Amino acid sequence: MLQQVVNGIIIGSLYALIAVGLTMVYGILRILHIAHAAVFVSGAYLGLLVYTYTQSLILALILAAVGCSIFGWLIQRFLYTPLLTEARIVPLIASVGLFILCEDLFRLLGGPYIRAFKVDLWFDKLIFFDTVVTAHQCLIVIGTAACLVSVYFLINRTKLGLAWQATAQDMDTAKAMGVNIKQVINFNFIIASSIAAIAGVLTAINYNSVLPTMGSVPAYKMFAIVVLGGLGSIPGTIAAGLIIGMAETIMSAYFGFIMPRDAIAFSAMILILIFRPQGLFGKGV
Amino acid sequence: MKVFAIIKKGWAGASIMALAMVIIMAYGHAVLAEPIKIGLMAPLTGPAAADGLSVKQSCEMLVENINAAGGINGNKIKLIVYDDQFDAKQAVIVAHKMIEGDKVVAGVSGSYSFTSRAAAQVFQENKVPFSVGYAVHPAVTAGGPYVFRVTILGHVQGKAGGMAAAKLMGVKTVSMLIQDNDFGQSLAKGFRMYAEKLGLKIVSADKFKMGEKEFSPVLTKIKKLNPDLIYNTAYPHDGALILKQAADLGIKAKQMGSEGLDSTIGFLEVAGKAAEGIVITTNLDRDSTVPITRKYLDGYEKKYGVAPDMTGASTYDALLMIIDAIKKVGTDSEKIIQAFRTMKGWQGVTGKIQEFTPNGEVIKDVELQVVKGGKFRRFGVISDQKVLQP
Repeated sequence: MLQQVVNGIIIGSLYALIAVGLTMVYGILRILHIAHAAVFVSGAYLGLLVYTYTQSLILALILAAVGCSIFGWLIQRFLYTPLLTEARIVPLIASVGLFILCEDLFRLLGGPYIRAFKVDLWFDKLIFFDTVVTAHQCLIVIGTAACLVSVYFLINRTKLGLAWQATAQDMDTAKAMGVNIKQVINFNFIIASSIAAIAGVLTAINYNSVLPTMGSVPAYKMFAIVVLGGLGSIPGTIAAGLIIGMAETIMSAYFGFIMPRDAIAFSAMILILIFRPQGLFGKGV
Repeated sequence: MKVFAIIKKGWAGASIMALAMVIIMAYGHAVLAEPIKIGLMAPLTGPAAADGLSVKQSCEMLVENINAAGGINGNKIKLIVYDDQFDAKQAVIVAHKMIEGDKVVAGVSGSYSFTSRAAAQVFQENKVPFSVGYAVHPAVTAGGPYVFRVTILGHVQGKAGGMAAAKLMGVKTVSMLIQDNDFGQSLAKGFRMYAEKLGLKIVSADKFKMGEKEFSPVLTKIKKLNPDLIYNTAYPHDGALILKQAADLGIKAKQMGSEGLDSTIGFLEVAGKAAEGIVITTNLDRDSTVPITRKYLDGYEKKYGVAPDMTGASTYDALLMIIDAIKKVGTDSEKIIQAFRTMKGWQGVTGKIQEFTPNGEVIKDVELQVVKGGKFRRFGVISDQKVLQP
């Protein structure tokens, strides 16, 4: 059913977008940046705020990305960098703690209500025979493609991207070879957080809702997706996001909700850890 | 010297009198001003925080109004509000705090079924009256005679929905989207029972978890089955997404929901145009001409700037019932329970309660509201006694 394929791609794209940031941070710092979900939510709120005053989607996306980059940088500078010398579990716990804190912060600042994020695009939907693709969904596909292509370009075709790859492989050697690690880390967080911001805005628009708890499912699901794809592997994460999106769609449509939809991602994660721990595309943790 | 003596005597006398007056006033004031403590439990944090806020504001408004008018027989009410954090374990802790710590006269639940049933057990064990606002699962009152519920039982509401679908909406086939929790399941059970009894065909029944955002897969499946009506037992956010995604997919079926969707900000705003025409079973009639309801609707909107919803209104009634009972019989638990049991024809914001069953359930009409022009409007009422019997 073509419609189900469309559904799956949309869900998968959003997952891929959110998870890419997580995998990028892991690639460089070997930290599971669960607080990335807080960046995602803040992107949605910032986007809503900007859109409310400017009615411009472009501005909303740009300013949300800028705001989240700052947020992401702050997290890195004041939470992760000081903890880099500790055991790996310490920054993870700090990240989880920060995320929980942020959830309630959003509720206190933005109110417990679900806010609508209504964006009218210049067309309503495309209909091919029986299949419907709404304008918002088109936006998601375009946005995701744009982000991922940009990331590919940045990582593979720029000098900073090369430095990023080197740091991801081995931070100490890269440092020894003269790579400016600080710059790479900053660059990493800025890109990852910007993508999270865009993901947040696109998600909010698609579901016409911004709420403080919108990050709770992504927080742990993207973790499963990243493991499935291979920690640190960007193409792996994208593939995993799309796979999980399709799997959930097919499961919901054809098998009813035999198991909770979220469980699919985790079942996949468990299976991958058992049979291929480096993930589908990973090269080893 | 004599002058001083007189002055001293005068001052002494005056001081003693003044002191005596102060003591009498203080003592008397203490006796008169003994506040009546009532505990309120609501999900102030967590995914239902909007409902928690609606509940808190409604109850605070009620207590303010009553205290301004002199309280209950001269005694002010002290409303002690607790956050159950949308967690059953916390609900139990809160219940103990209210009973043993604050020594409340009664408790009110402005919370969901799973938290209410946990707290209800504690109140039942300690023989303190517990008035439940909008939790609809049968297990909440099953514990015993100290728990009363002012809203309509889940499956009764479901039955009313089934009857409304068959008799008032002119449909023949139904697809059900059932939320997989206490609330959703009890509604679905009642709906299915009556719908099938009255000749409707249930062509599909799918469950979903609370908080689900992606209904497109299952809605695509339903679209193929082409039912006349889609019935959902969702809460505002999930329900709004069901409607929105159904509209996006071009589904033409009529829509029906429950009081779970009775929320202006959470449901109407998020669903937008897609909500037009949906009928819900609930207990708050926005078009009501009953004075107490109008006073609540207008008063709340004036004070807080947003329209109230079912959760606030139901809990308002739950609190008001306790207050009326205390007004009549005082603060003794047994007397309050008796007052509830023998009450007949009590008019609240959410309708007239005909009476309470031995189990503590109400018999009252089910309101039907339809969304017209972006607002909830009156659609009809189900008052068939066979349906309303729990």
